[in-house]
Amino acid sequence: MKKIKEHLPIILMGLLVGAASVLLVALGNPANMGFCIACFLRDIAGALGMHRAEVVQYIRPEVIGLVLGAMIMSMIGKEFKVRGGSSPVTRFILGMFVMVGALMFLGCPLRMIIRLAGGDWNAILGLVGFTAGIFVGTLFLKKGFTLKKSYAQSKLEGLLMPAANVGLLILVIAAPAFLFFSKTGPGSMRAPIAVSLVIGLIVGAMAQRTRLCLAGGIRDVFLLKDFHLLIGFVSIGVAVFIGNLIVGQLGLPGGFHPGFEGQAIAHTDGLWNALGMALVGYASVLLGGCPMRQLILSGSGNSDSTVTVLGMLVGAAFCHNFALASSAAGPTLNGKIAVVIGLVAVTVIGFVNTKKV
Amino acid sequence: MMEKIATFHTHFGAIRFHKRLIGLGDNAVMMPVPRKLSASCGTCVRFSLPFDPEWSDEDLEAVYNVDGSGYQLFFTNEEE
Repeated sequence: MKKIKEHLPIILMGLLVGAASVLLVALGNPANMGFCIACFLRDIAGALGMHRAEVVQYIRPEVIGLVLGAMIMSMIGKEFKVRGGSSPVTRFILGMFVMVGALMFLGCPLRMIIRLAGGDWNAILGLVGFTAGIFVGTLFLKKGFTLKKSYAQSKLEGLLMPAANVGLLILVIAAPAFLFFSKTGPGSMRAPIAVSLVIGLIVGAMAQRTRLCLAGGIRDVFLLKDFHLLIGFVSIGVAVFIGNLIVGQLGLPGGFHPGFEGQAIAHTDGLWNALGMALVGYASVLLGGCPMRQLILSGSGNSDSTVTVLGMLVGAAFCHNFALASSAAGPTLNGKIAVVIGLVAVTVIGFVNTKKV
Repeated sequence: MMEKIATFHTHFGAIRFHKRLIGLGDNAVMMPVPRKLSASCGTCVRFSLPFDPEWSDEDLEAVYNVDGSGYQLFFTNEEE
């Protein structure tokens, strides 16, 4: 009974994220995407003109909601502690490579589980790679990997990320002509702004309370034999699966469509799906959290996570400016080279920052 | 002997503290930081030996007494 009570918040959190993802797709977001952090940061980079891939440009209110929801909840809980300075440049680079891996696979860890629960079996390969990447990352943690401690910083340092998101909110509502908003493709597929924002706020607040982390879920199993966060991960999949069955019955966008071929915004190259997510898992473990967790921490005063998110944003721009990102047609040669470089770079970062325990 | 939980700024700090405690013969275990103690998803060390402030380094954050399911702050490692 005590165990159930202990795990109940993370189970409810997972169910909430899963249900929110299905709802967002039913209301207009791209299929099997719902709440993908990598895709949405990529869309924001496009909307701001950092890349010119015309089909993936939009300021996603879900991201704004996640950051502001986490900020509000951390302030209510007196947990808004501004800290940073823990190897910020290394974190920026790791954030970039997280995005290189995610855009090889076409999704962050959250979209990986959403795709899997939507019947996209290509995500199985992604999950295998993600788990393998996390495993290798935990070997470094066990050997003494550290990006060094963070330090207390001025309040402003922690408030700038939420402030920037308020700015983004104004921009998405005002939609001035200088922004780039997709007219076709995934970037043009959007749930209503108010719904996206409110869902983002709720999920952001709850994620701050429960510490939901998709990389952390598997990391804690390898590192501490603790399954708490993994239960949240699995709960997301359960909710998306059930939700997809329901929307399928109702004839709404979304649904469960099992198979490898013809999946929404996905390709069938198993090796590169696996290697892409291996890079995401590997870099995320060294960073201390998955892309969603980084967003939540960036709203809670953690300027190291803000730097990581900025790295992901720039990484997304790189991926589309230099043809590193995959498409439904498959991965690109440039993308494959970038993933290999990423795996090597993360390994070098791992060795250089490992101290004798 | 009252159990204690030590929290850290880094996972590395937890490993090093854990190794030290094991070396001293304690039955210390590493575990996720209880939610009541931190919003971070870091690693803490649960141990039984009386805490010696000499053990603190820059990675140590705080030490708590475990009282049933509650925690009482016992030691804070002041930062510069």
